[in-house]
Amino acid sequence: MKFSDVDVAVIGSGPAGMAAAIKAKQEGAEHVLILERQEQLGGLLHQCVHNGFGLLYFGQDLTGPEYACRFVEKVRDLGIEVLLETMVTQISVDRKLTAVNSREGPIHLQPKSIVLAMGCRERSRGQLSIPGTRPAGIFTAGTAQRLVNVEGFIPGKKVVILGSGDIGMIMARRLSLEGVEVKGVVEILPYVGGLIRNEVQCLHDFDIPLLLEHTVTQIHGEQRVEAVTIAKVDKNKRPIDGTEQNIECDTLLLSVGLIPENELSRMAGVDLDPLVGGPVVDERRETNIPGIFAGGNVVHVHDLVDDVSWEAEIAGAWAAKLSQKGDFEKKGKIILRPGRNIRSVVPQTISGQSDVTFYIRVKEMEEKVGLRIGDFYHRAFRVVKPSEMIKVDLLQKELNLLKGNLSELVVECQKGE
Amino acid sequence: MIEEKIICIGCPLGCETTLKIDDHGEVAKIMGTKCKEGRQFVLEEYRSPVRVLTATVLTRNSARPLFPVRTNRPLLKTQLKDAAKALKGVKVKPPIRIGQIILSNLMNTGVDVVATDDLIS
Repeated sequence: MKFSDVDVAVIGSGPAGMAAAIKAKQEGAEHVLILERQEQLGGLLHQCVHNGFGLLYFGQDLTGPEYACRFVEKVRDLGIEVLLETMVTQISVDRKLTAVNSREGPIHLQPKSIVLAMGCRERSRGQLSIPGTRPAGIFTAGTAQRLVNVEGFIPGKKVVILGSGDIGMIMARRLSLEGVEVKGVVEILPYVGGLIRNEVQCLHDFDIPLLLEHTVTQIHGEQRVEAVTIAKVDKNKRPIDGTEQNIECDTLLLSVGLIPENELSRMAGVDLDPLVGGPVVDERRETNIPGIFAGGNVVHVHDLVDDVSWEAEIAGAWAAKLSQKGDFEKKGKIILRPGRNIRSVVPQTISGQSDVTFYIRVKEMEEKVGLRIGDFYHRAFRVVKPSEMIKVDLLQKELNLLKGNLSELVVECQKGE
Repeated sequence: MIEEKIICIGCPLGCETTLKIDDHGEVAKIMGTKCKEGRQFVLEEYRSPVRVLTATVLTRNSARPLFPVRTNRPLLKTQLKDAAKALKGVKVKPPIRIGQIILSNLMNTGVDVVATDDLIS
Protein backbone atom coordinates (compact mmCIF):
# COMPACT_ATOMS: atom_id res chain seq x y z
CA MET A 1 0.00 0.00 0.00
CA LYS A 2 1.12 3.50 -0.75
CA PHE A 3 0.49 5.65 2.27
CA SER A 4 -1.03 8.28 -0.01
CA ASP A 5 -3.94 5.94 -0.82
CA VAL A 6 -5.53 5.55 2.59
CA ASP A 7 -9.31 5.86 2.59
CA VAL A 8 -9.99 5.33 6.28
CA ALA A 9 -7.28 5.60 8.94
CA VAL A 10 -8.15 4.20 12.37
CA ILE A 11 -6.08 5.27 15.36
CA GLY A 12 -5.91 2.53 17.98
CA SER A 13 -6.64 -1.19 17.72
CA GLY A 14 -8.56 -2.03 20.87
CA PRO A 15 -12.18 -3.22 20.83
CA ALA A 16 -13.14 0.12 19.24
CA GLY A 17 -10.42 0.48 16.61
CA MET A 18 -10.64 -3.05 15.25
CA ALA A 19 -14.46 -2.95 15.13
CA ALA A 20 -14.38 0.41 13.31
CA ALA A 21 -11.80 -0.79 10.79
CA ILE A 22 -13.67 -4.04 10.07
CA LYS A 23 -16.94 -2.18 9.59
CA ALA A 24 -15.31 0.42 7.34
CA LYS A 25 -13.87 -2.33 5.13
CA GLN A 26 -17.20 -4.21 5.03
CA GLU A 27 -18.95 -0.99 4.03
CA GLY A 28 -16.74 -0.68 0.96
CA ALA A 29 -13.73 1.42 1.96
CA GLU A 30 -10.85 -0.02 -0.06
CA HIS A 31 -7.78 0.99 1.89
CA VAL A 32 -8.36 0.80 5.61
CA LEU A 33 -5.31 1.31 7.79
CA ILE A 34 -4.99 0.70 11.54
CA LEU A 35 -2.26 2.59 13.40
CA GLU A 36 -1.35 0.97 16.73
CA ARG A 37 1.41 2.06 19.10
CA GLN A 38 1.79 -1.34 20.79
CA GLU A 39 3.52 -4.35 19.26
CA GLN A 40 0.24 -6.23 18.75
CA LEU A 41 -3.41 -5.58 17.96
CA GLY A 42 -5.94 -5.61 20.78
CA GLY A 43 -5.18 -2.67 23.04
CA LEU A 44 -6.06 -3.26 26.65
CA LEU A 45 -7.88 -6.53 25.97
CA HIS A 46 -4.65 -8.52 26.42
CA GLN A 47 -4.33 -7.64 30.07
CA CYS A 48 -8.03 -8.28 30.75
CA VAL A 49 -7.63 -12.05 31.12
CA HIS A 50 -10.97 -12.38 32.96
CA ASN A 51 -14.23 -13.41 31.30
CA GLY A 52 -17.42 -11.42 30.76
CA PHE A 53 -16.59 -10.02 27.33
CA GLY A 54 -18.82 -10.50 24.32
CA LEU A 55 -21.94 -11.80 26.08
CA LEU A 56 -24.02 -9.37 24.05
CA TYR A 57 -21.87 -8.99 20.92
CA PHE A 58 -21.09 -12.68 20.36
CA GLY A 59 -23.63 -14.28 22.72
CA GLN A 60 -20.68 -16.01 24.38
CA ASP A 61 -18.78 -15.45 27.59
CA LEU A 62 -15.24 -14.66 26.41
CA THR A 63 -12.06 -13.45 28.08
CA GLY A 64 -10.34 -10.26 26.88
CA PRO A 65 -7.73 -12.08 24.76
CA GLU A 66 -10.44 -14.32 23.25
CA TYR A 67 -12.54 -11.27 22.37
CA ALA A 68 -9.47 -9.66 20.78
CA CYS A 69 -8.63 -12.82 18.80
CA ARG A 70 -12.05 -12.83 17.10
CA PHE A 71 -11.47 -9.31 15.80
CA VAL A 72 -7.78 -9.87 14.93
CA GLU A 73 -8.78 -12.80 12.71
CA LYS A 74 -11.31 -10.66 10.90
CA VAL A 75 -8.81 -7.84 10.44
CA ARG A 76 -6.47 -10.36 8.75
CA ASP A 77 -9.17 -12.07 6.68
CA LEU A 78 -10.43 -8.78 5.31
CA GLY A 79 -6.95 -7.58 4.36
CA ILE A 80 -7.04 -4.50 6.55
CA GLU A 81 -3.63 -2.89 6.65
CA VAL A 82 -1.91 -2.55 10.00
CA LEU A 83 1.04 -0.50 11.20
CA LEU A 84 2.20 -1.70 14.62
CA GLU A 85 4.58 0.07 17.00
CA THR A 86 3.52 3.23 15.24
CA MET A 87 2.63 6.33 17.16
CA VAL A 88 0.35 8.97 15.66
CA THR A 89 1.88 12.27 16.68
CA GLN A 90 -0.30 14.77 14.88
CA ILE A 91 -3.64 15.25 13.16
CA SER A 92 -4.54 18.54 11.53
CA VAL A 93 -7.88 20.17 10.80
CA ASP A 94 -7.51 19.25 7.12
CA ARG A 95 -7.12 15.53 7.99
CA LYS A 96 -3.35 15.37 7.55
CA LEU A 97 -1.97 12.71 9.83
CA THR A 98 1.62 12.25 10.97
CA ALA A 99 2.83 9.05 12.56
CA VAL A 100 6.25 7.72 13.43
CA ASN A 101 7.88 4.33 13.89
CA SER A 102 11.42 2.97 13.89
CA ARG A 103 11.15 1.30 10.45
CA GLU A 104 9.71 4.02 8.24
CA GLY A 105 10.54 7.04 10.38
CA PRO A 106 7.97 9.80 10.04
CA ILE A 107 4.93 8.85 7.96
CA HIS A 108 2.67 11.46 6.39
CA LEU A 109 -0.84 10.43 5.44
CA GLN A 110 -3.82 12.19 3.94
CA PRO A 111 -6.69 9.77 4.63
CA LYS A 112 -10.15 10.62 3.34
CA SER A 113 -11.51 9.98 6.79
CA ILE A 114 -10.08 9.30 10.24
CA VAL A 115 -11.58 7.33 13.12
CA LEU A 116 -10.32 8.24 16.58
CA ALA A 117 -10.28 5.07 18.72
CA MET A 118 -7.57 5.77 21.27
CA GLY A 119 -9.64 4.74 24.28
CA CYS A 120 -9.00 6.25 27.67
CA ARG A 121 -6.59 6.55 30.56
CA GLU A 122 -7.01 6.02 34.26
CA ARG A 123 -7.31 8.84 36.73
CA SER A 124 -4.26 8.86 38.97
CA ARG A 125 -3.33 10.03 42.45
CA GLY A 126 -2.49 13.51 41.17
CA GLN A 127 -6.11 14.01 40.15
CA LEU A 128 -7.42 13.02 43.59
CA SER A 129 -5.28 15.17 45.90
CA ILE A 130 -4.92 12.55 48.65
CA PRO A 131 -2.73 14.02 51.40
CA GLY A 132 0.28 12.15 52.74
CA THR A 133 3.74 11.03 51.74
CA ARG A 134 4.76 9.85 48.28
CA PRO A 135 6.00 6.31 48.86
CA ALA A 136 6.27 3.43 46.39
CA GLY A 137 3.28 1.10 46.28
CA ILE A 138 0.56 3.31 44.80
CA PHE A 139 -0.72 2.01 41.47
CA THR A 140 -3.70 2.57 39.25
CA ALA A 141 -5.76 -0.62 39.02
CA GLY A 142 -4.96 -0.96 35.31
CA THR A 143 -1.22 -0.72 35.91
CA ALA A 144 -1.51 -3.42 38.57
CA GLN A 145 -3.52 -5.48 36.09
CA ARG A 146 -0.75 -5.22 33.51
CA LEU A 147 1.89 -6.13 36.11
CA VAL A 148 -0.03 -9.18 37.33
CA ASN A 149 -1.46 -10.48 34.06
CA VAL A 150 1.16 -9.60 31.45
CA GLU A 151 4.50 -8.89 33.07
CA GLY A 152 4.34 -11.35 35.93
CA PHE A 153 4.77 -9.22 39.03
CA ILE A 154 2.58 -9.08 42.13
CA PRO A 155 2.44 -5.44 43.28
CA GLY A 156 2.24 -6.13 47.04
CA LYS A 157 1.12 -8.40 49.86
CA LYS A 158 -1.57 -6.37 51.62
CA VAL A 159 -3.70 -4.22 49.38
CA VAL A 160 -6.34 -1.54 49.83
CA ILE A 161 -8.32 -0.50 46.76
CA LEU A 162 -9.73 3.01 46.50
CA GLY A 163 -12.72 3.22 44.20
CA SER A 164 -15.06 0.43 43.14
CA GLY A 165 -14.70 0.71 39.40
CA ASP A 166 -14.81 -2.56 37.45
CA ILE A 167 -11.03 -2.86 37.05
CA GLY A 168 -10.55 -2.31 40.79
CA MET A 169 -13.04 -5.05 41.71
CA ILE A 170 -11.62 -7.40 39.10
CA MET A 171 -8.13 -6.84 40.51
CA ALA A 172 -9.46 -7.51 44.03
CA ARG A 173 -10.47 -10.99 42.86
CA ARG A 174 -7.35 -11.56 40.80
CA LEU A 175 -5.03 -10.63 43.65
CA SER A 176 -7.02 -12.75 46.13
CA LEU A 177 -6.59 -15.75 43.84
CA GLU A 178 -2.85 -15.03 43.71
CA GLY A 179 -2.68 -15.19 47.50
CA VAL A 180 -2.60 -11.44 48.18
CA GLU A 181 -4.57 -10.15 51.16
CA VAL A 182 -7.10 -7.60 49.89
CA LYS A 183 -8.06 -5.60 52.95
CA GLY A 184 -10.98 -3.82 51.41
CA VAL A 185 -12.48 -1.72 48.64
CA VAL A 186 -13.19 1.85 49.71
CA GLU A 187 -15.89 3.73 47.77
CA ILE A 188 -16.88 7.35 48.39
CA LEU A 189 -20.37 6.92 46.88
CA PRO A 190 -23.24 5.00 48.53
CA TYR A 191 -23.09 2.34 45.76
CA VAL A 192 -20.44 0.53 43.71
CA GLY A 193 -18.95 2.31 40.70
CA GLY A 194 -18.78 -0.76 38.51
CA LEU A 195 -21.23 -3.46 37.49
CA ILE A 196 -23.26 -5.20 40.17
CA ARG A 197 -22.11 -8.58 38.81
CA ASN A 198 -18.54 -7.64 39.65
CA GLU A 199 -19.52 -6.76 43.21
CA VAL A 200 -20.96 -10.27 43.49
CA GLN A 201 -18.31 -12.36 41.72
CA CYS A 202 -15.24 -10.33 42.71
CA LEU A 203 -16.00 -9.05 46.21
CA HIS A 204 -18.74 -11.21 47.79
CA ASP A 205 -17.24 -14.45 46.43
CA PHE A 206 -13.94 -13.72 48.15
CA ASP A 207 -15.31 -12.06 51.31
CA ILE A 208 -13.60 -8.78 50.47
CA PRO A 209 -15.02 -5.92 52.59
CA LEU A 210 -16.71 -3.12 50.65
CA LEU A 211 -16.73 0.17 52.54
CA LEU A 212 -19.31 2.45 50.94
CA GLU A 213 -19.37 6.18 51.75
CA HIS A 214 -15.72 5.97 52.83
CA THR A 215 -12.56 7.43 51.37
CA VAL A 216 -8.80 7.42 51.89
CA THR A 217 -7.79 10.59 53.74
CA GLN A 218 -4.09 9.92 54.28
CA ILE A 219 -1.30 7.76 52.90
CA HIS A 220 1.47 6.73 55.31
CA GLY A 221 4.99 5.42 54.71
CA GLU A 222 8.35 6.84 53.64
CA GLN A 223 9.94 4.40 51.20
CA ARG A 224 6.94 2.15 50.79
CA VAL A 225 3.25 2.46 51.68
CA GLU A 226 2.84 1.33 55.30
CA ALA A 227 -0.81 2.19 55.95
CA VAL A 228 -3.71 4.34 54.80
CA THR A 229 -6.21 6.26 56.89
CA ILE A 230 -9.81 5.91 55.78
CA ALA A 231 -12.84 7.82 57.03
CA LYS A 232 -16.57 7.85 56.54
CA VAL A 233 -17.88 10.72 54.42
CA ASP A 234 -21.01 12.87 54.74
CA LYS A 235 -23.54 13.63 52.01
CA ASN A 236 -21.17 16.18 50.49
CA LYS A 237 -18.42 13.57 50.35
CA ARG A 238 -16.47 15.30 53.12
CA PRO A 239 -14.69 13.10 55.69
CA ILE A 240 -16.47 13.00 59.07
CA ASP A 241 -14.26 13.80 62.09
CA GLY A 242 -13.83 10.93 64.49
CA THR A 243 -14.53 8.17 61.94
CA GLU A 244 -10.89 7.73 60.87
CA GLN A 245 -9.27 4.33 61.06
CA ASN A 246 -5.85 3.13 59.98
CA ILE A 247 -5.48 0.14 57.71
CA GLU A 248 -2.06 -1.43 57.54
CA CYS A 249 -1.12 -2.21 53.92
CA ASP A 250 1.85 -2.03 51.55
CA THR A 251 -0.10 -1.20 48.40
CA LEU A 252 -2.89 1.16 47.39
CA LEU A 253 -4.69 0.60 44.10
CA LEU A 254 -6.72 3.39 42.53
CA SER A 255 -9.83 2.54 40.56
CA VAL A 256 -11.34 5.98 40.41
CA GLY A 257 -12.45 6.54 36.87
CA LEU A 258 -11.25 6.84 33.31
CA ILE A 259 -10.67 9.86 31.09
CA PRO A 260 -10.77 9.75 27.28
CA GLU A 261 -7.37 10.26 25.67
CA ASN A 262 -7.75 13.65 24.01
CA GLU A 263 -4.33 14.90 22.90
CA LEU A 264 -4.80 14.11 19.20
CA SER A 265 -8.42 15.24 19.22
CA ARG A 266 -7.41 18.61 20.65
CA MET A 267 -4.65 18.98 18.10
CA ALA A 268 -7.11 18.44 15.28
CA GLY A 269 -9.40 21.15 16.66
CA VAL A 270 -12.07 18.68 17.75
CA ASP A 271 -14.58 20.16 20.24
CA LEU A 272 -14.68 18.29 23.54
CA ASP A 273 -17.67 17.71 25.81
CA PRO A 274 -16.75 18.49 29.43
CA LEU A 275 -19.51 16.15 30.67
CA VAL A 276 -18.07 12.99 29.13
CA GLY A 277 -14.50 14.14 28.57
CA GLY A 278 -14.32 13.11 24.92
CA PRO A 279 -15.19 14.66 21.54
CA VAL A 280 -18.62 16.09 20.79
CA VAL A 281 -20.09 13.84 18.08
CA ASP A 282 -23.26 13.58 16.03
CA GLU A 283 -25.23 10.38 15.37
CA ARG A 284 -22.65 9.27 12.77
CA ARG A 285 -20.02 9.72 15.48
CA GLU A 286 -18.53 12.49 13.35
CA THR A 287 -16.85 15.30 15.27
CA ASN A 288 -17.13 19.01 14.43
CA ILE A 289 -14.18 18.49 12.06
CA PRO A 290 -15.54 17.00 8.81
CA GLY A 291 -14.13 13.54 8.11
CA ILE A 292 -12.89 12.98 11.66
CA PHE A 293 -14.99 10.38 13.51
CA ALA A 294 -14.67 8.89 16.98
CA GLY A 295 -15.99 5.77 18.70
CA GLY A 296 -15.65 3.76 21.88
CA ASN A 297 -14.08 4.90 25.13
CA VAL A 298 -12.35 7.86 23.49
CA VAL A 299 -15.82 9.41 23.17
CA HIS A 300 -17.20 8.44 26.57
CA VAL A 301 -16.47 5.63 28.99
CA HIS A 302 -18.71 2.62 28.39
CA ASP A 303 -19.63 -0.08 30.91
CA LEU A 304 -19.30 -2.95 28.46
CA VAL A 305 -16.81 -3.77 25.73
CA ASP A 306 -19.70 -4.89 23.53
CA ASP A 307 -21.01 -1.32 23.40
CA VAL A 308 -17.51 0.00 22.72
CA SER A 309 -17.32 -2.14 19.59
CA TRP A 310 -20.87 -1.36 18.51
CA GLU A 311 -20.37 2.36 18.84
CA ALA A 312 -17.09 2.24 16.95
CA GLU A 313 -18.86 0.36 14.14
CA ILE A 314 -21.15 3.36 13.70
CA ALA A 315 -18.07 5.57 13.29
CA GLY A 316 -16.43 3.05 10.95
CA ALA A 317 -19.50 2.72 8.71
CA TRP A 318 -19.93 6.47 8.26
CA ALA A 319 -16.17 6.99 7.81
CA ALA A 320 -16.32 4.47 4.94
CA LYS A 321 -19.29 6.25 3.40
CA LEU A 322 -17.59 9.62 3.55
CA SER A 323 -14.42 8.19 1.99
CA GLN A 324 -16.47 7.04 -1.00
CA LYS A 325 -18.93 9.87 -1.44
CA GLY A 326 -17.20 12.92 -0.07
CA ASP A 327 -18.01 15.11 2.91
CA PHE A 328 -21.57 15.07 4.21
CA GLU A 329 -23.84 17.94 3.48
CA LYS A 330 -24.90 19.16 6.91
CA LYS A 331 -28.51 20.21 6.91
CA GLY A 332 -30.00 20.63 10.35
CA LYS A 333 -28.43 20.32 13.73
CA ILE A 334 -30.37 19.46 16.87
CA ILE A 335 -28.56 19.74 20.19
CA LEU A 336 -29.34 17.18 22.90
CA ARG A 337 -29.50 18.93 26.25
CA PRO A 338 -29.17 16.91 29.48
CA GLY A 339 -32.14 17.78 31.70
CA ARG A 340 -33.24 16.56 35.12
CA ASN A 341 -30.97 13.83 36.59
CA ILE A 342 -29.07 13.34 33.32
CA ARG A 343 -25.29 13.56 33.45
CA SER A 344 -24.51 13.02 29.81
CA VAL A 345 -25.93 12.17 26.41
CA VAL A 346 -23.97 10.80 23.46
CA PRO A 347 -24.29 11.78 20.66
CA GLN A 348 -24.48 15.40 21.72
CA THR A 349 -26.02 16.52 18.42
CA ILE A 350 -28.11 14.83 15.73
CA SER A 351 -29.08 15.79 12.21
CA GLY A 352 -32.45 14.04 12.38
CA GLN A 353 -31.68 12.43 9.03
CA SER A 354 -30.35 9.04 10.06
CA ASP A 355 -30.79 6.37 12.75
CA VAL A 356 -29.38 7.21 16.16
CA THR A 357 -27.93 5.11 18.97
CA PHE A 358 -28.01 7.14 22.17
CA TYR A 359 -25.94 6.37 25.26
CA ILE A 360 -27.32 8.14 28.31
CA ARG A 361 -25.92 8.28 31.83
CA VAL A 362 -27.89 9.51 34.84
CA LYS A 363 -26.46 11.62 37.67
CA GLU A 364 -27.96 9.80 40.63
CA MET A 365 -29.67 6.55 41.43
CA GLU A 366 -33.43 6.98 41.26
CA GLU A 367 -36.38 4.59 41.42
CA LYS A 368 -39.51 4.56 39.30
CA VAL A 369 -38.63 7.13 36.66
CA GLY A 370 -39.54 7.78 33.07
CA LEU A 371 -36.78 8.61 30.60
CA ARG A 372 -37.84 11.17 28.01
CA ILE A 373 -36.21 12.46 24.86
CA GLY A 374 -38.09 15.56 23.76
CA ASP A 375 -41.77 14.73 23.65
CA PHE A 376 -41.59 11.79 21.31
CA TYR A 377 -39.67 9.11 23.23
CA HIS A 378 -40.56 7.71 26.61
CA ARG A 379 -39.45 4.62 28.55
CA ALA A 380 -40.23 3.64 32.14
CA PHE A 381 -37.50 2.35 34.45
CA ARG A 382 -37.86 0.61 37.81
CA VAL A 383 -34.46 1.99 38.72
CA VAL A 384 -31.73 4.03 36.98
CA LYS A 385 -28.12 4.08 38.21
CA PRO A 386 -25.08 6.14 37.19
CA SER A 387 -23.09 2.91 36.91
CA GLU A 388 -25.44 1.51 34.26
CA MET A 389 -25.52 3.36 30.96
CA ILE A 390 -28.86 3.46 29.16
CA LYS A 391 -28.88 2.68 25.44
CA VAL A 392 -31.67 3.93 23.18
CA ASP A 393 -31.91 3.09 19.49
CA LEU A 394 -34.08 5.39 17.39
CA LEU A 395 -34.82 4.86 13.74
CA GLN A 396 -34.78 7.68 11.27
CA LYS A 397 -38.51 7.29 10.66
CA GLU A 398 -39.18 7.87 14.36
CA LEU A 399 -37.20 11.08 14.06
CA ASN A 400 -39.45 12.24 11.25
CA LEU A 401 -41.74 13.42 14.03
CA LEU A 402 -39.16 16.13 14.62
CA LYS A 403 -40.28 18.32 11.77
CA GLY A 404 -39.97 22.05 11.98
CA ASN A 405 -37.19 24.25 13.14
CA LEU A 406 -36.35 22.29 16.25
CA SER A 407 -32.86 23.17 17.46
CA GLU A 408 -32.82 21.49 20.86
CA LEU A 409 -34.12 18.33 22.51
CA VAL A 410 -34.14 17.85 26.26
CA VAL A 411 -33.30 14.42 27.68
CA GLU A 412 -34.59 13.98 31.22
CA CYS A 413 -35.70 11.60 33.94
CA GLN A 414 -39.17 12.32 35.20
CA LYS A 415 -40.12 11.20 38.67
CA GLY A 416 -43.00 8.92 39.47
CA GLU A 417 -43.78 7.39 36.10
CA MET B 1 -41.26 -20.42 53.67
CA ILE B 2 -38.14 -18.24 53.69
CA GLU B 3 -36.89 -15.79 51.10
CA GLU B 4 -33.39 -15.69 49.67
CA LYS B 5 -32.15 -12.70 47.68
CA ILE B 6 -29.74 -13.52 44.86
CA ILE B 7 -28.27 -11.16 42.27
CA CYS B 8 -28.22 -12.90 38.90
CA ILE B 9 -24.79 -12.50 37.35
CA GLY B 10 -25.55 -14.57 34.28
CA CYS B 11 -25.26 -11.41 32.18
CA PRO B 12 -24.30 -7.75 32.72
CA LEU B 13 -27.88 -6.72 33.59
CA GLY B 14 -27.45 -8.02 37.15
CA CYS B 15 -31.13 -8.64 37.98
CA GLU B 16 -31.99 -8.67 41.68
CA THR B 17 -34.02 -11.81 42.24
CA THR B 18 -35.89 -13.33 45.16
CA LEU B 19 -36.23 -17.08 45.75
CA LYS B 20 -38.94 -18.54 47.93
CA ILE B 21 -37.58 -21.57 49.73
CA ASP B 22 -39.96 -24.15 51.19
CA ASP B 23 -39.51 -26.05 54.47
CA HIS B 24 -37.47 -28.78 52.73
CA GLY B 25 -34.94 -26.27 51.40
CA GLU B 26 -36.35 -26.58 47.88
CA VAL B 27 -36.90 -23.59 45.63
CA ALA B 28 -40.65 -23.01 45.40
CA LYS B 29 -40.68 -19.79 43.40
CA ILE B 30 -38.24 -17.49 41.59
CA MET B 31 -39.09 -13.80 41.23
CA GLY B 32 -37.29 -10.93 39.50
CA THR B 33 -35.55 -12.74 36.64
CA LYS B 34 -36.04 -11.49 33.11
CA CYS B 35 -35.10 -14.58 31.11
CA LYS B 36 -35.01 -18.38 31.05
CA GLU B 37 -31.21 -18.47 31.41
CA GLY B 38 -31.51 -16.20 34.43
CA ARG B 39 -33.95 -18.59 36.15
CA GLN B 40 -31.55 -21.47 35.53
CA PHE B 41 -28.64 -19.38 36.78
CA VAL B 42 -30.19 -18.34 40.10
CA LEU B 43 -31.44 -21.87 40.71
CA GLU B 44 -27.87 -23.14 40.34
CA GLU B 45 -26.57 -20.17 42.34
CA TYR B 46 -28.81 -21.25 45.21
CA ARG B 47 -28.06 -24.97 45.01
CA SER B 48 -24.34 -24.99 44.18
CA PRO B 49 -22.80 -21.82 42.79
CA VAL B 50 -20.22 -22.23 40.03
CA ARG B 51 -17.72 -19.89 38.34
CA VAL B 52 -15.40 -19.98 35.35
CA LEU B 53 -11.79 -19.56 36.53
CA THR B 54 -9.48 -17.34 34.51
CA ALA B 55 -5.79 -17.11 35.26
CA THR B 56 -2.32 -16.91 33.76
CA VAL B 57 0.38 -19.58 33.63
CA LEU B 58 4.14 -19.25 33.26
CA THR B 59 5.86 -19.76 29.90
CA ARG B 60 9.13 -21.22 28.64
CA ASN B 61 10.90 -20.21 25.41
CA SER B 62 8.72 -17.16 24.96
CA ALA B 63 9.19 -13.41 25.14
CA ARG B 64 5.93 -13.29 27.07
CA PRO B 65 6.45 -14.26 30.71
CA LEU B 66 2.77 -15.15 31.21
CA PHE B 67 0.05 -16.73 29.13
CA PRO B 68 -3.73 -16.44 29.74
CA VAL B 69 -5.93 -19.48 30.35
CA ARG B 70 -9.46 -20.33 31.51
CA THR B 71 -11.48 -23.36 32.51
CA ASN B 72 -13.63 -24.65 29.66
CA ARG B 73 -16.52 -25.14 32.10
CA PRO B 74 -17.35 -23.54 35.45
CA LEU B 75 -15.96 -24.97 38.69
CA LEU B 76 -17.69 -25.02 42.05
CA LYS B 77 -17.11 -21.67 43.73
CA THR B 78 -15.50 -23.45 46.65
CA GLN B 79 -12.86 -24.97 44.34
CA LEU B 80 -11.60 -21.68 42.86
CA LYS B 81 -8.74 -20.99 45.29
CA ASP B 82 -7.35 -24.51 45.11
CA ALA B 83 -7.66 -24.50 41.34
CA ALA B 84 -5.73 -21.24 41.12
CA LYS B 85 -3.00 -22.82 43.28
CA ALA B 86 -2.90 -25.89 41.07
CA LEU B 87 -2.13 -23.67 38.08
CA LYS B 88 0.92 -22.13 39.76
CA GLY B 89 3.17 -25.03 38.81
CA VAL B 90 2.09 -25.13 35.17
CA LYS B 91 4.52 -23.97 32.47
CA VAL B 92 3.67 -23.80 28.78
CA LYS B 93 5.79 -23.34 25.68
CA PRO B 94 4.96 -22.25 22.14
CA PRO B 95 3.37 -23.00 19.78
CA ILE B 96 -0.09 -22.90 21.36
CA ARG B 97 -3.37 -22.21 19.59
CA ILE B 98 -6.32 -20.52 21.24
CA GLY B 99 -8.70 -23.16 22.68
CA GLN B 100 -5.94 -25.78 23.04
CA ILE B 101 -6.06 -27.83 26.26
CA ILE B 102 -3.29 -26.81 28.66
CA LEU B 103 -4.25 -29.08 31.53
CA SER B 104 -6.94 -31.73 31.34
CA ASN B 105 -9.14 -32.90 34.21
CA LEU B 106 -8.11 -30.15 36.64
CA MET B 107 -8.10 -31.57 40.19
CA ASN B 108 -10.21 -34.52 38.97
CA THR B 109 -13.14 -32.23 38.31
CA GLY B 110 -13.49 -33.28 34.69
CA VAL B 111 -12.92 -29.64 33.76
CA ASP B 112 -10.10 -28.73 31.36
CA VAL B 113 -7.92 -25.63 31.38
CA VAL B 114 -7.66 -24.13 27.90
CA ALA B 115 -5.60 -21.42 26.19
CA THR B 116 -7.37 -18.09 25.63
CA ASP B 117 -4.77 -16.71 23.20
CA ASP B 118 -2.24 -17.86 20.61
CA LEU B 119 1.36 -18.23 21.74
CA ILE B 120 3.69 -18.04 18.77
CA SER B 121 7.00 -17.26 20.42
